[in-house]
Amino acid sequence: MRMPEPPRRDQGENVIPLINIVFLLLIFFMLAGTLTRPDLFNVEPPETVRGIETDLPEEGVILMDANGRLAFEEEELALEALGPRLEQWLADDPERPLVLKADAGVPAHRLMDVMDVLRAAGADRLTLLTNPAER
Amino acid sequence: MVIDSPPVRRRNLIGLTPLIDVVFILLVFFMLASSFLDWRSIALSLPGEGGEPSSDTPPLVVRIASDGVLTLDGENMELAELERRLSTLLGEDPARAVIIRPADDVSLQRIVQVVDRLSAAGGSNMTLNREGR
Repeated sequence: MRMPEPPRRDQGENVIPLINIVFLLLIFFMLAGTLTRPDLFNVEPPETVRGIETDLPEEGVILMDANGRLAFEEEELALEALGPRLEQWLADDPERPLVLKADAGVPAHRLMDVMDVLRAAGADRLTLLTNPAER
Repeated sequence: MVIDSPPVRRRNLIGLTPLIDVVFILLVFFMLASSFLDWRSIALSLPGEGGEPSSDTPPLVVRIASDGVLTLDGENMELAELERRLSTLLGEDPARAVIIRPADDVSLQRIVQVVDRLSAAGGSNMTLNREGR
């Protein structure tokens, strides 16, 4: 007499819960995260407790790292080249919002240099991007 | 009793393994490419070359020294004290201009910390300016 062969579990059945979870994770990351283009260089913005919640703007972002490297619209620039570039950018609409995404370690004088350039280029308002402080 | 019929294995019409591979790759892509950072913004006005925006009352000047000491109109004080003073002063005139003059090597984090507290105190018209101008 032959013993009945133990029923072989279907391999696909084992995998289905795994797929379910992976799909759930996939949907979570698709919905909860926002896809952003990585910055040209690493910038850690300062932390604030207050401040208005905003979405990361798509355009008009001036990037500045702790060593004073500057980039505007995904293009690395020297401080002297920033002025003409901004003038050109502001030419069609001087009220276009400009956003500064600067590292928390940027010293004040570098910030002032950039603000002088902005002012000379005709911008009169600037938004500073920050992250909310963790409590 | 002889049972020799092996259980019928149903073959999946489409292999599951490639599907899982693709889903995993998508998962890894979204995990790496998405960011979960919250963003906040602080509005600063860039003052014109000439004068500060004219107001009946003179602007309040907050200086930040390189060692982090805060000065309001020539008087040293702590951040909490500064916030209290300014909320009193700005309570009388909310549109009063506040000028923040950080020393050259004060970090942006410190400036933002002060700006943050001043906006909590009711400051709405804040400008950053160079020390000694």
